[in-house]
Amino acid sequence: MTLVEKILAKKAGKKFVRPDEIVEVSVDLAMIHDALGAHTIARFRELGVKKVWDPARIVVVLDHYVPNKDIDTAKKCLNIKKFVLEQGIENYYEVGKGGIAHQVLVEKGHVLPGTTLVGVDSHTTTSGVVGAFATGIGVDEMAAVFKTGRLWERVPGTIRINVEGKLVPPVMSKDLMLLILKRLGVSGALFKSLQYTGPAIRQMSIAGRMVLTNMAIESGATNGIIEPDQKLVDFLKGRTNQPFELVQSDRDAEYSETIEFHADDIKEPVIAVPPKPSNAVGVTEVDGTKIDQAFIGSCTNGRLEDLRIAAKILNGRKVDKLTKVIVIPASQEVLKAALEEGLIAIFVEAGAVVGPPTCGPCMEAHMGILGPGEVCISTANRNFQGRVGDTTAKIYLASPATVAASALKGKISDPREFFREA
Amino acid sequence: MELKGRVWKFGKDVDTDELFAGRFIMGGDETSQSQYQEFIAKSGLSDVGHRENVPRDFLTKVAKGDIIVAEENFGIGSSRQQAAETLKFKGVQAVVADSIHRIFFRNFWNLGCPAVDLPGISAEFESGHEIVINLRQGTIKNLNTGKEFEFRLIIPSWFIDMVEVGGLIPYHKSLRS
Repeated sequence: MTLVEKILAKKAGKKFVRPDEIVEVSVDLAMIHDALGAHTIARFRELGVKKVWDPARIVVVLDHYVPNKDIDTAKKCLNIKKFVLEQGIENYYEVGKGGIAHQVLVEKGHVLPGTTLVGVDSHTTTSGVVGAFATGIGVDEMAAVFKTGRLWERVPGTIRINVEGKLVPPVMSKDLMLLILKRLGVSGALFKSLQYTGPAIRQMSIAGRMVLTNMAIESGATNGIIEPDQKLVDFLKGRTNQPFELVQSDRDAEYSETIEFHADDIKEPVIAVPPKPSNAVGVTEVDGTKIDQAFIGSCTNGRLEDLRIAAKILNGRKVDKLTKVIVIPASQEVLKAALEEGLIAIFVEAGAVVGPPTCGPCMEAHMGILGPGEVCISTANRNFQGRVGDTTAKIYLASPATVAASALKGKISDPREFFREA
Repeated sequence: MELKGRVWKFGKDVDTDELFAGRFIMGGDETSQSQYQEFIAKSGLSDVGHRENVPRDFLTKVAKGDIIVAEENFGIGSSRQQAAETLKFKGVQAVVADSIHRIFFRNFWNLGCPAVDLPGISAEFESGHEIVINLRQGTIKNLNTGKEFEFRLIIPSWFIDMVEVGGLIPYHKSLRS
């Protein structure tokens, strides 16, 4: 069996599962956030159950509307806090304590290898980076999970994405992922799992790998997953004291498909042009496209290494006079580290606005919303029409290096130029 | 269980931002069901005038019992259940598509509305056709062309029972009694 099949089999209490079989698994961890948490709670209350199945297995993170932007968001967060207190949920991240849920789950050691995680958010797939089965569900289903601690799942067949070689900076895991999406398309992995393997993945930092599991959903996949290795074990040290099992795919595991990439072959940074994350082109093809906003952040690319490469490019320079440049660290921990390293000062001196850890202009929730006809280059994960504001606005997806280079010039720009100078 | 309705033909890759824009997510008061339903129904597909994969007159003419037949990858994107709710509250009783995104698929069923994926089915329908879906038999019929198609759903054994009682929440309540 593949890694994901082994996890689902174990959690279903079965010896063996095969792709497209329906199983019912125990849920090790369930996450709600402020965007859909109050809704989940209202549906849970409709069930007429007094207590959740296990408050220790629930993580609540306020991340979309940080700090609250209006009365509606404040009211919903109050409802969430009331529920947290009433149910005795310890894992609660109030504004200023956590950051983006997908980052917090991994960074605070909540999600562990070999476990199952569900969240009311499609990018819950991010946590597959630790070798867990992590996926998104809707609020009614989460209400049922709160009651039963169980989830049905259609066992996904596994598409193996094998990446040989090593990425050559400033090409980043984001560039690789956009090329993977170009290959798979936005529906190429429906009801499938993406398992990333190969030397380039082993070489990558945990932060870099999280880009791949985060955007697995963009191919329609149920989840994204990476076999745990020593690098992950080192990462988890000090983040958890819980025991965990390093589940790996069997040697004779059957993959529904294996797709090969060679990281060294990616010479040019990649951009996904609107309106689909799978519309990848080389940066030179859209070089010079005028932008109004540049966003560095999100659960895809708001981690320390992302801020480091952006700061390397922005250091001692000024961003374009007419371009809104927004930098939002993915968590308080990332923000603190970036402060200590002096990265935040570099962003501010360059003329960027630095926001508190939150989802920001990744979606049309809070801050950085686009007006008619505006063009944004973003490190986030989706560029659907109307994703971040007016339907005539356009979103280009790119790596933090490419977004930083573009911020300086006010137009889409190749980061290799700055990288050579720096 | 048989569902009969008038077809609205949608294109491919209808995404959840299109079905329900992010700016409305915090808008509804979910503690008041009638207010919530009204808000969700009216906020969905609000930018549809700019879209190519939704019929122009869908918003003004959609009626209770209508059925969407879409091309591939229906409901791609977010887990926001409002994307499924808005279709239900506008009157859509089922979605049939060449393929359906996993989270939308689950959300729509959980609301008591079947979502049926069958590769190639969209080519067999036009807006205005009459469609009949038989869930237990696994058949779709186009009453205008007379053609019938078979499907096999990959769903839990209790899913059609769940739809018959009105969705996941009512189903769980029925288990208690």
